[in-house]
Amino acid sequence: MKTMRKAISLWNRGHWKDYVFSQGMLLIASLLLVFFISIGLGVGNILQRFLSSDLPEEQVRVTPLGVQAGFFQTERGGTEITENLLDSLLALPQVDRIDPQVYAHVPAYLRGLLGGRNYYTDITLEGVSDAFVPDSMLEYIDWNYTLSDSSVKPLPIILSEDLLILYNAGFAESNGLMGLTPEGVIGLEVRVNVGSSSIASLQAPPINLRAEIVGTSRNTALFALAVPIEFVEEVNALFLPDDRHTYSALMVTAHEAEDVPEIVRYAEKMGLSAETRRGIAQKAEILVGVVTAALGALAAAILFSAVASAIHTLVADLKNRSYALGVLVALGTKRERLVYIFAFQIFFMSLISTVSGGLLGCALSYIVSTTLLNLLPVLKMAVNSLAVFPAGWLSAGLGLVLSVSTVSAWFFFRKILATPVTELLRR
Amino acid sequence: MSNPLIEARSIVRVFDNLKVLNGTEFSLSEGEFVAVTGKSGVGKSTLLGVLGTLDPSFSGDLIINGVNTAEVTSQRLAELRREFMGFIFQDFHLLPNLSALDNALLPAVFSGTDTRKVRDDAAAILSRLGLRNDNTPTRFLSRGERQRVASARALVNNPRVLMADEPTASLDEESEETLFDLLDSLRREKGFAIIAVLHSKKILSRADRILELKEGILHENHA
Repeated sequence: MKTMRKAISLWNRGHWKDYVFSQGMLLIASLLLVFFISIGLGVGNILQRFLSSDLPEEQVRVTPLGVQAGFFQTERGGTEITENLLDSLLALPQVDRIDPQVYAHVPAYLRGLLGGRNYYTDITLEGVSDAFVPDSMLEYIDWNYTLSDSSVKPLPIILSEDLLILYNAGFAESNGLMGLTPEGVIGLEVRVNVGSSSIASLQAPPINLRAEIVGTSRNTALFALAVPIEFVEEVNALFLPDDRHTYSALMVTAHEAEDVPEIVRYAEKMGLSAETRRGIAQKAEILVGVVTAALGALAAAILFSAVASAIHTLVADLKNRSYALGVLVALGTKRERLVYIFAFQIFFMSLISTVSGGLLGCALSYIVSTTLLNLLPVLKMAVNSLAVFPAGWLSAGLGLVLSVSTVSAWFFFRKILATPVTELLRR
Repeated sequence: MSNPLIEARSIVRVFDNLKVLNGTEFSLSEGEFVAVTGKSGVGKSTLLGVLGTLDPSFSGDLIINGVNTAEVTSQRLAELRREFMGFIFQDFHLLPNLSALDNALLPAVFSGTDTRKVRDDAAAILSRLGLRNDNTPTRFLSRGERQRVASARALVNNPRVLMADEPTASLDEESEETLFDLLDSLRREKGFAIIAVLHSKKILSRADRILELKEGILHENHA
C-alpha cells in the first residue's frame, strides 16, 4: 500500500492540475444527477398530490362534458344531466345508488374575515348529498340544512382544497394576505348572500345567511362551494321556479368495484364525462410520467455530456502521458501492475469527485427547494419539501457515473498499455 | 564455459518490407563489455530494443539468462527487464517532473519493492555520479546531468546487463570519459556486462569486443 501511494504520488507529480478539469466535470455530472433525481421526484410527488383523489374505488363521478367553472358556465352546453338520464343510469344493474349534485343557478356572494381582512367574492354553490361527505366528517357535522334552519344554525360549507391552493397562489400572494391551510379555514364563519352578486341579481330579494366552513375536500368542483343538496334545490325552486331541473354531477355507486367500467362506458356513451379513482390515477400517472421523463431526459443529456467530457479529459491526459507509461513498462513495470495502480487512482479520484458532487447536489436541491417553497407558499400546501433524497436512486445514479467514468478510463488505459513499448517511447 | 547472459540466434526484424535485422547472431557473457557500432539508421537501436525485450516483433530465438523469450509471458519479460537489465536510453527517457532520486527509484517503486534499501543504493550511486540528491525536477538539469541520472536509474537495481544506446551522444569528451570511468569502476565492482551502442573511438577502445552492424548482420570488428 505504501509503495502504491508512492507510485501514485510520483506518477502525478506536476500533473495534478490536469485532473482538475476532468474531476470537476465529474463532480458537476454527479451534482446535476443528484439535483435532477431529487427535484424530479419531488415534482412528481407534488403532481401526484395535486392530481390524486379520494374517490372510493366503487364510485364513478359523472359530470357533463366541458369545463365547469362555476355559476357563470355551470353545466350548460353539451349533454345535461336530467332526471331522465339519472333514471336511466339508476336502471343499470351494476348501479347500487346515485347521489346527485346540483348547482345553485342563483347568483351568490360570500363575505367574511379571512386572514384578518375583509374578504368578498362571488361564489357558486353546489348541492351535494351526505354520501359525498366523508364519513369521518359526518361524525361531527350536521349536513342537513334548509332555509328554515337559517335562524338556528349556520349553512355548512365544504371548500375545495384546490381552491385554497389557488387562493394562496393567486389572490393571497398578490394582495399580501396570509396563506390559508385546511386547518386554518375549518370553523371559519362567513356570511353568504343568495340571490345577488357583484354582477347579477334576481328580482326576488336576496337572502343573507350565516355560514360556516366545516371541511375541505379534494372532490368538490374547483369553483364551487359544496353545501347540502336540499338547500340548493330549495334555493333554485325559490328564485328560479321555471328553470329546468338538471344536475351538476352524479356520484354513482356500483355494487362492486368491478362494475365501474360498465358504468363508465354507459355514461360516456351518453355524452357525459365519467371519473373514477383508477382513471384519475392513470391521468396523474401519465402526467407524472411525462414530467419525470422530460426531467430524466434533460438529466441524462447533461449527465452524458458531463461524463463524456470527463472521460475525454481523462483519456486525453492518459494519451498525453503514454510516453511516461512507455518508460515505466520499459523499466520493467508489469502492465498489470500499472493497470491496478491507475485503476485504483482513477476509481479513488472519481469516487471523491462523485461523492462530493452528490453531496453538493443534495445541498443544491435543498436550497432550491427551500427557496421555491418560500417564494410559492402554494407548494407548502402540498409538500414539506420539493426535494426528495431516495438513497437507492441516488446511490444507483452516482454508482453509474462512477462506474462509467472508471471503466471507460480503465478501458482506454488498457488500450494504451497494449501498444508496443517502442511505440510508446516515441514522443 | 558458462552460459551466455544473452544469446540471439537468427534474429530478423522487418519494418515495412525492410529487413533491418537480417539473421543477426549475438551473445553476451558475464561481465563482458560489448560495443555495437554502425552507420546511422543501420538498426543499432532496433537491435538493442530486441535484445532488451522491448520489441517483441521479431523472428528468431532470443535467450536471456537461459529463458527463451518466445516462451514466456509479457509479465515475465517485464520481470526480466527489471531484475536482469538496466537501460540507458539515447533520449534518457526520464520523467521530467521527478527529481534525480525519484527517477532512479521508478523501477523499484512501480514494481512494489520496498524502496528503503533501494533508496540508499540510489543515493549512493547518484553521489558517485556526482549528482546532488535534492528535489530539483530533472527537466531543470543539464543534458550531462540527465545522462548521469539515466545511468544511475539503470544501475540502481543491480542489473547483470547494462544496455546503453549512445549514452554519450551529446556529451563532450571529458564528460564522456568521466561517465565511462564511473561505469567501468562500477562494472568491476558489481560485475555486470555492458552492451552499448557507441561511436566514440576512445570509449570503443575500452570494450572487450566491438561489433559492427552492417546490412542487418553483426560483424566482429577487430580494428
